[in-house]
Parts: sequence; C-alpha cells; structure tokens
Amino acid sequence: MRKIIELKNVSKAFDGQTVLDNVSLDIYDNEFLTLLGPSGCGKTTTLRIIAGFESPDSGSLSFLGEDILSLPPHRRNVNTVFQRYALFPHLNVFENIAFPLREKKVPQDEIRGKVDEMLRLVALTGFEKRSVTSLSGGQQQRVAIARALISRPKVLLLDEPLAALDLKLRKDMQQELKNIQKATGITFVFVTHDQEEALSMSDTVVVMSEGRIQQIGTPIDIYNEPRNAFVADFIGESNILSGIMLQDRLVRFSGRDFPCVDEGFARNEPVDVVIRPEDVVIVPKGQLRGTVTSVTFLGVHYEIIVDIGGFKWMIQTTGFADVGDEIGIYVDPENIHIMKKSEYSGLFGDYSSFSNEFDELSDAESEAEP
Amino acid sequence: MKTSAKIYTALIMLFLFAPIAILLIFSFNAAKSLSVFSGFSLYWYRELFRDAETLGAVRNTLVLALSAAVLSTAMGTAAAVGIFRLRSKVLRAAYDTVTNIPMINPDIITGISLMLMFVFVGRLFGAATSLNFWTMLIAHITFCLPYVILQVLPKLQQMDASLPEAAMDLGCTPFRAFLKVEIPEIMPGIVTGLIMAFTLSLDDFVISYFTAGNGFQTLPIRIYNMTKKTVTPKMYALSTIIFFTILALLIMTNLIDTGPGVEKQEKKERSAASKRRTKLAFGIGAVLAVGMAAVLFLGAPKKPVLNVYNWGEYISDGSEDSFDVLQGFEDWYLANYGHEVEVNYTTFASNEDMYAKLSSGAVSYDVIVPSDYMIARMREEGMLLPLDFDNIPNYQYIGESFKNLYYDPDNLYSVPYTYNFTGIIYDANRVDEADTGDWDLLWNPKYAGQILQFNNSRDAFGTAQYKLGLDVNSDDPADWQAALAALKEQQPLVKSYVMDEVYNMMESGEAAVCTYYAGDYFIMADAQAPGVELSFYAPERTNYFVDAFCIPTCCQNKELAEAFINYMLEYEPAVANAEYICYGCPNRLVYEDGAYAEDMGEEAMEILYPNLDDFGEKYEQFAFRNLSPAMLGTINTLWEELKIN
Amino acid sequence: MKEKNGLRLARRLALGPYGLWAMLFILVPLLFVAYYAFTDNDFAFTTDNIARFFTATSVSDGVVTHTYLLIFWRSLKLAVISTVICLLMGYPIAYILSRSPLRTQKILITLIMIPMWMNFLIRTYAWMTILQDTGILNSFLRLLSLRPVHIIGTEGAVVIGMVYDYFPYMILPIYSVMAKMDVRLEEAARDLGCNSFGVLRRVIFPLSLPGVISGVTMVLIPSISTFYISQKLGNGKFYLIGDAIEGQYVANNLHFAAAIAFILMVILLIGMALMQRYANSRAAA
Repeated sequence: MRKIIELKNVSKAFDGQTVLDNVSLDIYDNEFLTLLGPSGCGKTTTLRIIAGFESPDSGSLSFLGEDILSLPPHRRNVNTVFQRYALFPHLNVFENIAFPLREKKVPQDEIRGKVDEMLRLVALTGFEKRSVTSLSGGQQQRVAIARALISRPKVLLLDEPLAALDLKLRKDMQQELKNIQKATGITFVFVTHDQEEALSMSDTVVVMSEGRIQQIGTPIDIYNEPRNAFVADFIGESNILSGIMLQDRLVRFSGRDFPCVDEGFARNEPVDVVIRPEDVVIVPKGQLRGTVTSVTFLGVHYEIIVDIGGFKWMIQTTGFADVGDEIGIYVDPENIHIMKKSEYSGLFGDYSSFSNEFDELSDAESEAEP
Repeated sequence: MKTSAKIYTALIMLFLFAPIAILLIFSFNAAKSLSVFSGFSLYWYRELFRDAETLGAVRNTLVLALSAAVLSTAMGTAAAVGIFRLRSKVLRAAYDTVTNIPMINPDIITGISLMLMFVFVGRLFGAATSLNFWTMLIAHITFCLPYVILQVLPKLQQMDASLPEAAMDLGCTPFRAFLKVEIPEIMPGIVTGLIMAFTLSLDDFVISYFTAGNGFQTLPIRIYNMTKKTVTPKMYALSTIIFFTILALLIMTNLIDTGPGVEKQEKKERSAASKRRTKLAFGIGAVLAVGMAAVLFLGAPKKPVLNVYNWGEYISDGSEDSFDVLQGFEDWYLANYGHEVEVNYTTFASNEDMYAKLSSGAVSYDVIVPSDYMIARMREEGMLLPLDFDNIPNYQYIGESFKNLYYDPDNLYSVPYTYNFTGIIYDANRVDEADTGDWDLLWNPKYAGQILQFNNSRDAFGTAQYKLGLDVNSDDPADWQAALAALKEQQPLVKSYVMDEVYNMMESGEAAVCTYYAGDYFIMADAQAPGVELSFYAPERTNYFVDAFCIPTCCQNKELAEAFINYMLEYEPAVANAEYICYGCPNRLVYEDGAYAEDMGEEAMEILYPNLDDFGEKYEQFAFRNLSPAMLGTINTLWEELKIN
Repeated sequence: MKEKNGLRLARRLALGPYGLWAMLFILVPLLFVAYYAFTDNDFAFTTDNIARFFTATSVSDGVVTHTYLLIFWRSLKLAVISTVICLLMGYPIAYILSRSPLRTQKILITLIMIPMWMNFLIRTYAWMTILQDTGILNSFLRLLSLRPVHIIGTEGAVVIGMVYDYFPYMILPIYSVMAKMDVRLEEAARDLGCNSFGVLRRVIFPLSLPGVISGVTMVLIPSISTFYISQKLGNGKFYLIGDAIEGQYVANNLHFAAAIAFILMVILLIGMALMQRYANSRAAA
C-alpha cells in the first residue's frame, strides 16, 4: 500500500497549552482511518493541520513524499466535510456542489455532468434547485459530502460529520459513508469520539488522548489488545486491576494467582490486568467471591456490579443474580489481558462510582464541545 | 394587539408625526409665514426650484452623504473583518474602545476636536484654507465608521466560522473565499451599515458646522445660516419633497422585499427575495456612485471661481420673482470680459461666526460682507486688502454720507452695501400710542410677557445703553455692569430672546413688542396675521450700522473680486438687492430712483431714508465700534451671567 | 510558510486603514482638545481655562452662583429628564412592537424612523409653530374651549424638543433586544407564578437591560450637548453647555471652548464607564 500522508513529530500549542505532542502518523492509500478520542485530545487539530487551516509549531507533513506545510488550503489535494457541514446558505444545492468546479473555471457542460454524477452518488437527484437551508440534516450531510468529493481529492477529511444526526440516521449514514469510500477508492480520514462508530467503520483506528497517540491498529487489535488502561477503558467497558506478574503465564491480583497467556514480563513486575465484563462468568463457587450491589436489565443482557474485596467489577451476563446475592466468578486464562503500567494506571476500570446515566451525560458533554 | 396598546401606539405616532404634518401643511402656505396659514399655494415649491443656493446645498449634502457612506462602509467592513480575526485580546479591547469613542462622545466634541486639529495642521503647513470639502468628508467618515463596524461585526460573529474554511478547502484563495462566501453572508449588515451611514451623514448638523469650509455648504448649515433673516416655507417644501421621496423608496423596497402573499411562502422564496434586495441595493449604490463621480468630476468647474461669503438671505437670488444677481454677474462678466466665471456663494450667521472662520485660517474667500465694527477690527488686524478703485468705477454712486466713516476713514478698504438701524416694532392693536417713542417701551411692565429682546449680546446691551444714555462703546466696565443691571431688570418682562424667530412671533401676534432692524419690519408687516397691526419707530438714540464689501487677505483673485463689487453697484443688481433685503441702500442710483421709491412705498422710504444729510453725524455718535478683546471677553461673561438666570 | 504569512498580512491590511484612520481622526483630535484646553492664545501651558470653568461666578440679586457649574447642572438636569421621559415613553412602545405580528413590526419601525430622515433643524422649527402661545396646540385647545397653555420658552419646551429629536434612538435598541427575546420566557415566568408586573420586573427588564443602556446613552449624550433646541424652543432663555461651547467658539475663544469640551468629555467618559460597570455587574449577577 502506498503511503499518502505522513505526519512526523508534529507538535502544536494554543496559548501555551499543548494540543498535539510529538504526533507521528502514516496514512495509506484507499484506507478508512479514524482518529478516535475524547474532546480535546487533538484529533480535530490533526485534521485541520492536514487540511491546512492550522500550521504546526514543529514537525513535518508530507503528501506523497512532498512537504506540503507551506501550501495554503486551496492548493492541497484534500477536501473536508465539516462538522456542521458549512454549506453556503446563499447558494442552492447545485451551486454548493458545483462550487469547487466554478473556482477552477470548468465549462458549464462538464459541471452539469459531474454534479449530476455526485447527486446520484449521494442519492439526491432532483434536489438541484433546493435551498440548502430547507434540507434535513441528513440531506445537508450528503450535499457536504458531494461537494467535497466532486474535485476527486486524494484524501477526504471528515470532522465528526455524524455528530449532529439522530441515532437511526447515524447508523444509515455510517453504512453509506463506508459504501461511498469503497466506491470511490478515496482515503477517508474520519474524526469521531464515538468508539462504536470507529470500530464499525474503520480499517485503521488511531486512539488519541491529551495530544498523544495511544495506539494505532485494526479495530479488532484495539479492542482485544489495548495497550494501556486508557485505551482499554475508552474502547468498550473494562475491569482494570492492579496486579503483579509472578512469572510467565501467571499473574496475581485480588489476592489470588491466576493462570494467563501473556509472557515476556520481568519477574514480579507490577502490571495492569484488563478483563472485559462479557468475559466474566458467574459460577456457584468461582475463583473470587463477592456481593452483588446493583443490577440493570439492558435487553440482551444484565449489567451486574459486584463488590469483590472493595473493588467493584462490572459483569455482563445473560444469567440473573439479585442485589445482595453472594456469587462466585470465573475468568478464562485467554480473557485475562496483561498491560504494562502507564500513566493511566489506576485512573480507570473501577466501577465504584459508575452509573449509566453519568456515562451518557459525559458523552453528551463531549459532543457538545466543538 | 390589545386596544390599549393600539391607542398607545397611535398616540406615539401622533407625537412623532405632528411636526411633520405641520411642515407638510405650511409648505403649501400662500404667505411667507410659518405660523399663519393664509391659503393653499404651490408658490414655495416653485421658489424652491429657483433657489440655486438651496439646490446647491442639497446637491452638496447628497454628494457628501454618499461619499461618506460608501467610503465608511468600505473601510468599516474591512475593519470589522480585521477586528473579527484579531486573536490578541488586548488589541481587540483597544479597537473596541476606540470604535466606541465617536459614539459616546457628543457631536459637539467630535466636531470641535476635528476642527482644532485641521486648523492647527493647516496653519502648520501654511495652507490658505484648512477646512474644505475633504475635511468635512473626513469628519463624516469618522463618525459613520463605528456604526458600520457595529452592523457588520455581529454578522461575522453569527456566521459559521467554517464557511470561509470550506471555501478555501474547495479551492478558493483566501481573498476569493472572502468575496464569494463571507461577503454574501454579511451583506445584510453591510447594507444596513451603508444606509445608517448615509442617514447620519445626511442629517448631521453639529459636526458639519465645525468642520465646514470654503464654499461647500450643506443643507443643515444653509438652514442654520438663515437665522439673520428667516426660515421660509421653501424649506418646508424641501422637507415635504424629502419626506415623500423617502416614503416612496421605503414602500418600494418593502414591496420588493415582501411581494404578494409573502408570509406563507417557503424559505427559499425569502432567500430569493433577499437576493433581489441585495441586487437592488447594489444597483442603487452603483447608480448613486456613478452619479456622484459625475457630479464630482464633471461638476468641478474649470473656469475661475469667485468665493463670496455673505450673510444668509442677504442677496437677491431670483426667489419670489426677484432678479438673480449672481447669475446676472456671471452673464455680465461673460459679456464684458469675454470669459466665464463661477460664483461660489456661502453664507454666515454672524460677524463673529465669519471672523472665527476667517481668522482660523480655515477658509479662503474673495469677497466678504462684514459689518462696520468688524471691518475696523479686521483692518486693524491686517486681515483686509486695500481696494483698487480703478476697478470699481461705480463707487462714484455711493452717497457722500456713507463715505469717510470711522471704520474706514480714508475709504480704502470697503464699499458700503447696505445700512440700517435698530428700531422698535410693535402691534398697534395692543400697544398704547402713548407708550411708544423711546426705548422705555421694552421695559414697560404693561407688556410683560409680550416683549422680545435680541439674542445677541452686543445688540441687547445696546438697547439698555441707549435707554440709559450710556456710550455703547464705553471701555468702562461699570457702564456695562449698569447695562447688565437694566437687562436683568427687564428679564422678567421678556417673553423670549430671539433672532430670526422674531418674524414668526411678531407676525402671528405671539409677541407685541420687539426690537429689530428697520428693514425687517417691512417683511413682518407684509406677513402679519389678521388682527395684528404692526408699526415701527426708531428711538432718537439707536444703533446705525453699515455692511460693506471687503476683500480679505486670503483672496485668491482680487481683480475678479473687484469686478464683482463693481457689478453690485450697477443699477439693476443694486435695486434688486435693495428691494429684496429691504435695508437702506447707500447707492444713489437706488435711493434717488423713482421706480424703487414706488416699489418700496411711502412709509418705507420715510423710515429708511429720513434725512441722509445728518446720517454721518448720527452714525459717528451712536454706531457700534470695535471693542478691545478684553472688553469683548467681559461682555461675553456678562451676557452669560444674564442668560443663566 | 510564506503564503501563510501573506494571509496574516492581508488580515492586518484589512484592519490597517481603519487603524490609521482611528488614530489620526479619533485619537489625535482628542489630544488637540486637551492641548487647546491647557494652553493660552500663545500656546503656552496654562490651567486658567480649566480653572475658569470651575471658579467663574456671577452675581444676581445678591446671590453668587458659579456660572459654568450652573450651566452644566442645568444641561445635565434637562438631559436626564428628557432621557427618563424617552425611556418611559419608549419602553412600552418597544415592547408592543416586539410582540406584534412581523408585518406590523416592520411598518411601525419604518414609521418611527421616518422623522429621523427629516432635517433636525426643520423639525425643531416645526415644533415652534406648534408650541408657541398662538400656535397650533393652543388654537386647538381654544377650539375645545380649554385654557391655552404656555409652553414655549419654558424648560418643558426644551425637554419636548429633546424627547422628540432623540426618541427613536431610545426605541430602536430596546426593540432590537426585545425582538430577540424568547416569548416562552414570559410564559415560563407566568407559569412559575409571576403576575404581569413580576414578569416585567424579574424577566423582561433584566433581559432588556443592554438595550436600555444603549438607548439611554444614545439619548443622554446628544441631549446634554445640544445647542440648537435650547435656542429655538427655549426662547434663548436656557443657556446650556452646548450653547456655551458654541458661544465661545463664535467669540473666537477656541482655548476656553476646548476647555469646556474637555471637561464635558471627561465627565461623560467617567459616567459611561460607571454605567458600563453597573451593567456588567448586573449581567454577572
């Protein structure tokens, strides 16, 4: 695969506050790459540097091997779909999509043909004369995509394009975006804070936090082998416990020794142990025992919080237990993931203060921020 | 709306439109009065279109307002864009503060501050004139700018910040992105800013008053300078035309804006309508800009220009079927000298007003018409040029009584234009004949609340000094204190301190007694309301004054100026002026002319030309003379003391 | 990075002409006011002009008054009265406007603005015709066999002139704030138990405060410094601070005129700063 964009050691600060800290990233041809992270992690800034709206304080950016930092936005072969679409309210649908071609002084016939083609691609044929302000959110979204694709950029940058849509529409658009990407063969760089969206659409996921890249990998790698507590927590739910690697394939946590499949750690090295809630099995006796403190019915499964020696575990199970029940749990050695200690150790993975409502609130908050 | 709200709204509208209704009605008055309606007529509209000076002022006002509006909108929009992009908080705050200054500073301070600077800088560079069209334009742009910025800035803030980025992303250079995306977005703000700037500039009087210069007179200044004579219904006619023009424009834009059956239409129709409106605004703007350029460039005369600075309403200007003296001069000059000239005619409201403008070095004029005491002062200060009487052969017609007067003992600097004296005008239906004859009538408690006094310090003090038998030119402060005491004693009886308002008040019977200049009595008597019977007498001791043509040192074309003065002494213009102004004329061609005497009538001839043989004697005895600056300061202080009570 | 700098330069350039203009024609002229205020006719430094404003006295009927302080006080009094009347009259109309159907709003706003396009000197003149003792108003009263009123030449007439000339400047800013206000806020307040007055006092008025402040500023400033209205409608009997400045200018005492202007400017700037501060503290609370 051909490398299209290469960021090397890129740093950027606003008003003395570091937003990007020594970020290096390669983006390949025909790839659907997602920048994932909570708000303020630097993902949008990375996108804006690629688009040319910001310039980094240090580092380099090359496009097909050529340094493009000095190129202004209009001379870069990338286009952007903006968060709130940024459609030009004084132009109708046709003129919005034709905008880049008019800038290039393309003859009218050719414009007609290309706009029609784009309208077909985004399924908006017949909307040419409509005012963009009269369109629904989803339709505006399609116009924005058509407009950005019409000049056949090498790379399309999408800045949280689905954030303003409702859930149902969002699911449809995810699929459609994926289809458009396949049909056009254009590299998509997609920014989102929604991990489900990232996992379901991407070829490559880049998890970012506090201006640094935490992990790059396929969705499966990221989910199954999180590199640190942050990634483990951000991608899905995780119980993260502090432990000690006694020897290869044997780890101690919660006062007990567990067999596992990881190797290559130093003897008695302190580590983080990640166990996904769906990997915990309720059994009559079990390796550990605890008291159920809360049960939530979620349709497909129950979400059960168990207090085991003061640490609260989350368990997702189809079996039922009642609050106050004392239960035993079992974890298969395959499902015990061992990670090196990092700065995020001890910050995540305990469900003492967890509530679904709180989780949604903080989600909404991060969406509201630009 | 609730009924109470409807009634309240109606009352407010009544309040707002009552004066407008008044001026609509009185613009159709057959008589000259602004308070007595004596029949419907279109007379004043005809007069208006014959009044070259007023039409010129209208043209000037429009040119200035358009230039100021267009330039301030262009600069203000650019400034708003720049301010909007400022990242530095300190700079941003600094710009906000500076932008606010002209809005929270009173007009009078903005006007004075600019005037002081222009005059100072003008003097520094030794410019003959530092105030002109351009200084006025600068002043107008300056006070319009903040309003434009404050209209455009919010539109930028409301705009989705990613719009210009999207345009650049799609291949626009930053400048193209600004033109194609930002400008259409902020267009409503720009249009509103333009209209506001135009309106503000159009109506501004105060700032224009301080920064106006040479020969460039706007309508508000022209109106203000009519204060020596009177604001005529002509101005009401002009206002009526302006009113209906604006009304028509507003209705038109409203029709275009909303069209038929608007409210229920879709958004897209509305955006189409707003696009049409934007196009219309651009269209109007373009037409106006072209028109303006045409006026500025084609209107710029290439022929020699004579700048004349005279009192308001102090020349026969073709109105009311009179002879247009300025046009007459241009024709006469072409006939006699073989090439064209243009007279640029500007007016002032008082000697002091004219002196302030001239001595500041802010303006330059070729011919001025000061009064006697001001001529003496300007002569002493070296502000006048001696005349070359070979170029003014008509000086021979000046009556002997009007030569060798104190202000120009050797007849070197001035050619008398008019003379007059102060007298008392009263309503014979209300004032006992027995009470008349001298100044005491103005102090007579019988007529308390019906007496008018001058609203100008020298004339007002004069009435008291003549009454008390004091010397009006005394340099003893005690004399002035005594006069002040008399004025204070009179104050409770005084209805009003007036200048031009005297006409309305006397004509309508609003007041019964006033003191004013003899010639103006005829104008009032002509327009008196039914039931008012105006009469006139001049007390024995009273102020005689002469207004004369002079050439100031800043004159640019002395021979032309002398030709003008000479022409003004020719029979036709001299008679026309004398009949128009109604003051006494020192020109023998006029006062010895039978046709003139017949036109003026017996009473007028008796009052204006009692016995010219002892005119010189009386004049030397009673006329106002120039006082020392210290004395003038004292009078000013005493006058303020009177006025604050 | 060259092109990037070019972009920044272009932004600077957009601001440049205005920056230069503001410096030359807004700030420098104010320095000239100060310069003239603190110099005598030979441009030598002096504080006499400033001192004269505060110390000049006049005697009448044995009572000593400070001439210019009295003039200033009178100007301030008339301006404040006019402003309060404008506010009391304008606030309800702004509210009525903002709650009318859009089309009505448009027509009424246009009507309110039309008088602003007529020349202000002429409008004032027309008021003379209405208010004088034998004027339209009194003819009307006589027609109704009511007692005629004497207005012209009183402080009342000056106030009427000021209110009339600056009234639209009060309505428009308040209206534009109110038009943006969410009607549901009023409904919410009623729902939560406010009566009409409570809604006005606790919801509408606090929210419209920015409009009120800019309206008050836009009426107070011109009325405190006017010099034409008082001459025409006050029968020349009410000498205001604007008349004093104009009088000194015409009498060619530029330095003293500048001193009065300077003092007026300083007082107004302090006043405005205090008002802004009050508004900010209200907004913060």
